[in-house]
Amino acid sequence: LRQISQRTISTASRRQVKNRVPEMQKIFQEDNGIPVHLKGGVIDGLLYRTTMALTVFGK
Amino acid sequence: MAHQTHAYHMVDPSPWPLTGATAALLLTSGLAMWFHYNSTTLMALGLLTTLMTMMQWWRDIVRESTFQGHHTMPVQKGLRYGMILFITSEVFFFIGFFWAFYHSSLAPTPELGGNWPPTGIHPLNPFEVPLLNTAVLLASGVTITWAHHSLMAANRNQSIQALTITVTLGLYFTALQAMEYYEAPFTIADGVYGSTFFVATGFHGLHVIIGSTFLIVCLLRLIKFHFTTAHHFGFEAAAWYGHFVDVVWLFLYISIYWWG
Repeated sequence: LRQISQRTISTASRRQVKNRVPEMQKIFQEDNGIPVHLKGGVIDGLLYRTTMALTVFGK
Repeated sequence: MAHQTHAYHMVDPSPWPLTGATAALLLTSGLAMWFHYNSTTLMALGLLTTLMTMMQWWRDIVRESTFQGHHTMPVQKGLRYGMILFITSEVFFFIGFFWAFYHSSLAPTPELGGNWPPTGIHPLNPFEVPLLNTAVLLASGVTITWAHHSLMAANRNQSIQALTITVTLGLYFTALQAMEYYEAPFTIADGVYGSTFFVATGFHGLHVIIGSTFLIVCLLRLIKFHFTTAHHFGFEAAAWYGHFVDVVWLFLYISIYWWG
């Protein structure tokens, strides 16, 4: 019985999250001159342009 | 970056201060449009741009610290001072509303019937939902301390569990308070009692929501391995903020719900 209860408690219903911090550190420390707000990739640029467009449109 | 000979952080040029300032302008002028001309477009735009600025600015800070390593001890010290000063400014913000409450309640005018609570007002029973809310926030203070100690002891599972419970308690408080607002027998328009009650508790509720959001972000970062046992200032800042919100509630509970 103890084995069953122990097994049930330790079953993770969510996937084990992988530690992606070292990958991110590599991406963001690359010496490519890109400022931090764009350094994450294409989506950064999209978000930036959208935000800028909205603020300019508002003004 | 690799060439600096000091321990401080000279940030990359960033567009977010500009978008943030513009967003604030849109938000405030949007409020005026809503109050006077019954139009919410400008305010919605202001809210959206404020949100987008906040998300990207704070995302960049996470990148600069966790991914680029810019948050050395002197930088962290500055951030600590900053958070303490910010919370202090918020304390003064609330002091204003407590001042207003005591001004009106210590010497109730004849128009109110000369007593407090004013004639005709049926205040909420402080020993019902408000007492539960007090217990909820105090409990969240305990669980967040538990989470902090677990984090420092490198106990991943417990820190995640404890922080999750903290977030749940914050959301529970908000839900209970929303229900109280809906069921209350008086409104914000019911004289100075209504005004002081809803403005003070309303701003407090907003801060609970802000605190809960901050904690949710911390929970996600905790799960994603961003924090180390010795360096987790974002978590500490969220914890300080949560304790502040709890203390404000205690003052609200004693002054407005109980004494009032």
